[in-house]
Amino acid sequence: MLAAALLLHLLTGGAEAPADAVKLNEPGVQYRPNEASATSSPWIDANGWQILRAPGRKFAYRVKGETAGLAAAEAFTYGADAFLSADASGEAAFGRMLEFLKTVPAADLAPVADFGVVDDGSDEAGELLNLLTRMNLLYRIEKKPDRSFHLNVRLGTKEYPREEAQDPSATAHKIRSQIGDDKRSLRVYGSEVVIARLVGGPRQARVFLLNYAGRPVLGLRVRVRGAYSKGELRESGVADAHLQDWTPAGQTEGGPLVEFTVPELRAFAVIDLSRN
Amino acid sequence: MDRRTFLQLATAPALLGSDELPSYKVVSRYTPANGPHMPGPYRGVVTRVHSENVVDTAADRVDQPTVDRMLSAGMGTLTGAKNDKDAWGAFFSASDVVGVKVNCSGAPAIRASPEIVGGIVRNLLAVGVKADNIYIYERFLDQLTSVHYERVVPQGVNIVAIETPRGSLMGYDPKTYVEVSFFGEDDTRSNLARLVTERFTKIVNVPNAKEHQASGVTGCLKNLAYGDFSNVARSHMRSKTNTFSFIGTLAAVEPLRSKCVLHIMDGIRAIWHGGPFSEDKRYRFYPRLMMFGTDPVAIDRLLLDLIEDKRKAEGAPSLWDRSPDKIDPRAHRDFHKNTFIREPGHIEYAATKFGLGEYDKNRIKVESLEV
Repeated sequence: MLAAALLLHLLTGGAEAPADAVKLNEPGVQYRPNEASATSSPWIDANGWQILRAPGRKFAYRVKGETAGLAAAEAFTYGADAFLSADASGEAAFGRMLEFLKTVPAADLAPVADFGVVDDGSDEAGELLNLLTRMNLLYRIEKKPDRSFHLNVRLGTKEYPREEAQDPSATAHKIRSQIGDDKRSLRVYGSEVVIARLVGGPRQARVFLLNYAGRPVLGLRVRVRGAYSKGELRESGVADAHLQDWTPAGQTEGGPLVEFTVPELRAFAVIDLSRN
Repeated sequence: MDRRTFLQLATAPALLGSDELPSYKVVSRYTPANGPHMPGPYRGVVTRVHSENVVDTAADRVDQPTVDRMLSAGMGTLTGAKNDKDAWGAFFSASDVVGVKVNCSGAPAIRASPEIVGGIVRNLLAVGVKADNIYIYERFLDQLTSVHYERVVPQGVNIVAIETPRGSLMGYDPKTYVEVSFFGEDDTRSNLARLVTERFTKIVNVPNAKEHQASGVTGCLKNLAYGDFSNVARSHMRSKTNTFSFIGTLAAVEPLRSKCVLHIMDGIRAIWHGGPFSEDKRYRFYPRLMMFGTDPVAIDRLLLDLIEDKRKAEGAPSLWDRSPDKIDPRAHRDFHKNTFIREPGHIEYAATKFGLGEYDKNRIKVESLEV
């Protein structure tokens, strides 16, 4: 089976990323228990939204330690052409993740989205995309509204006024409510620090799971819309990983669903779903 | 028990002046047991056993022989049985796998007393339940192990935490849950413990007598609800708590409702403010009692009075006081304040919405004993 194409470059010997590369944050979680905020949820530094926002661009990470592995996985998940510079332990972590990524079979699958977002390039739109990604709400960035979606979000319109967008969290929750949790193509239960991506085709789908916490998430439950009968789990750092408690959740208003549990999610996992 | 898929949509009506209630979806493949499920065979009946000698308050030491006599008197009076074996045999048999749901959230100062838990285990063994079919359990390992129940039970009895380590969902049943969004949280599910769905045939519930900053009091209902499901702390944010409707909704989920056959409230020690924890000993007191029953609502209704009377005696505001000016995140330092707007109405809601027991004091039969 052909491995997925990799666009990851480790910078060594003082090499620099291309000057026009988009600089990305070191991925991870910031726990701020003593800081007043609108939510008690931990803050996730994730870059998927930036990668999706700038197709065709190159990206640069500067990372340390195990975070290098997570950065490689993040870039892989979103198909980024990424350049990483890391310390010695980071280079080792990158190498381990690269070996794992080479085992992931190639698959020609399109990103799944439940709604569209017209990106005007503003900071407000950027922060909204960040939060939508963080909340595992699947969107497609578009230049103009796509009528195939029930919902198209465009800041500055009557439905999504600029003033309202000053509170991106409220706007993201409004969008979530408009879609309806029951109708979402993908849901994750059991963690606030896992970001998922879903790609799919007529008989197959792939779920990417990125754990930003730096420690394992145990018993992560995933729900995917679709009549899948089989799931195969591949996980970095875990040999012989298997999904548990597979549940065909049956027919719902939005179509069939399946659910399964990832017993121990370390930094990254890929789940291939298929139909008989 | 019939294991066919059971899906219940429970959209609760507004009640008792509460805000609009959340919309709950209960997913369980279990249906009620054939026998009487909560409130069980003794609806509206509470046996209340008091002993002046049960605790040496100067040393904070509980007297085991007195606890044993209280257990014997309480179970005998509740069931009408002539001896302990018949009393416990009314609920348990040799083939049962029994969970003893303790409460350790206030440990080490207040927890399901080891003397009571040890006594329960001895009575279960006496009716033939095998030691390795008895599980003393709680949600969190650090709280549970701090009590050292292993010192009061024979080898072979299991002492287990559901959520090990904290945050792990592996100890919960992914197919039995309550789904609800309170504040737009990402994870909208609370799953029931696998031990309850897959292992136990019966449960003995052993709550403490405590005030609770969110729910008003924490007794039988809350110990079952928040002590057997995952992801429940999400029901509170800032001064708002959804304990009013969440506790009863969780406690009524099958098979929890059918498997919990007996409640023994540990009221030897109690907390009148700052609960469920007990960081400040000013708020501890000693009612020196135990309450027995199969009706969690009736016992909790008496608990409300116990805590409310003590607060009144101490000059603290009523549990029912909803004044916004009483809200203070540092309320454990000042008993005139509270962290949340308390929801003691959760007990009546559990009775009226789910029929979990008798709330009307005029219809609760209290048999009081002195040992």
